[in-house]
Amino acid sequence: MKVRVKAFARFREIIGSENTLELYEGTSVLGALKNLSAGSIDFRDACFDKEGNVASFVVLMINGKRISGTDREMMVLRDGDELAVFPPVAGG
Amino acid sequence: MLSGNEQERYHRQILLFGEDGQEKLKSARVVIAGAGGLGCPVATYLAVAGVGHIRIIDHDTVERTNLNRQILHWEKDIGVAKTGSAGEKLKLINPDIVIEAFRVTIDEETAPGLFRDVDAIVDAMDNYPARYLLNHWAIKSGIPLFHGAIRGFDGQVTTIIPGKTACLSCIIPKAPPKEIFPVIGVTAGMIGMIQANEVIKYLLGTGELLGNRLLIWDGLNSVLDTVHVERDPSCTECSHIQDTMKVR
Repeated sequence: MKVRVKAFARFREIIGSENTLELYEGTSVLGALKNLSAGSIDFRDACFDKEGNVASFVVLMINGKRISGTDREMMVLRDGDELAVFPPVAGG
Repeated sequence: MLSGNEQERYHRQILLFGEDGQEKLKSARVVIAGAGGLGCPVATYLAVAGVGHIRIIDHDTVERTNLNRQILHWEKDIGVAKTGSAGEKLKLINPDIVIEAFRVTIDEETAPGLFRDVDAIVDAMDNYPARYLLNHWAIKSGIPLFHGAIRGFDGQVTTIIPGKTACLSCIIPKAPPKEIFPVIGVTAGMIGMIQANEVIKYLLGTGELLGNRLLIWDGLNSVLDTVHVERDPSCTECSHIQDTMKVR
């Protein structure tokens, strides 16, 4: 299946604004992001925590809707989904 | 009632929203939390628009490293309280409005007094613990909060109407790590002006606010995105409140 990953802010600088991934059916959000991080150590360091989970502050959206909860990264993606990853900025 | 000077000063925007609109701005009281990169453009544009009562809060003094983006602070102000420096310039920019500048840290103790009897709170802070405190007080008091944040060429803005829209904790429940953030002054200008525009629209009761939308500015690619956000039913800050907000 194909999933589009849209990146914002610092993530966009690392992996570009949009990536289309070819994934196996049943791949989770975590699987898609690990797929991307396999090609970019910088993305892995920016998006994941030391335990290998998606960092808690990273905002994740599927088809424009934010996903939340402790199991958010285990949500299964479907063909044609758009996954958005956004690291909020903090300065002022 | 607008004076002759005020009618002249605001002529071009009275053409836009009439004397009634200008009176709404004149009678408004806005708190700007932070007199830094975001606070400077927000305060400048609210002052020139004629928002009648601006309260600006900051506990810091001006440092040379601030001067690439904090446009109300100049070389001569290094070492001076940011509130003193900002207050001085804002009074020169528009002598027809009231400027209050408080050098104080916003915390649980000071917040009730600082946010009493105001129509809007602008988040021009530089860290999430302080932002979550503003969010908490905005929800508790039913006052709209205008959030902005920046890093590098990137920025984000949203407008929070307590009880109606997603609050800051709904959108960003966990704070990103603290850092000395890199930033270019134009990013602060872009985001601060969008925040000021939101405040003005809210006070006038016109246009579509950024409620339930997070606007994301990518200055490197000159792209503005807005992503849909919504209230989190399990939000620890706002899930308990109903839609009781009186929109101006």
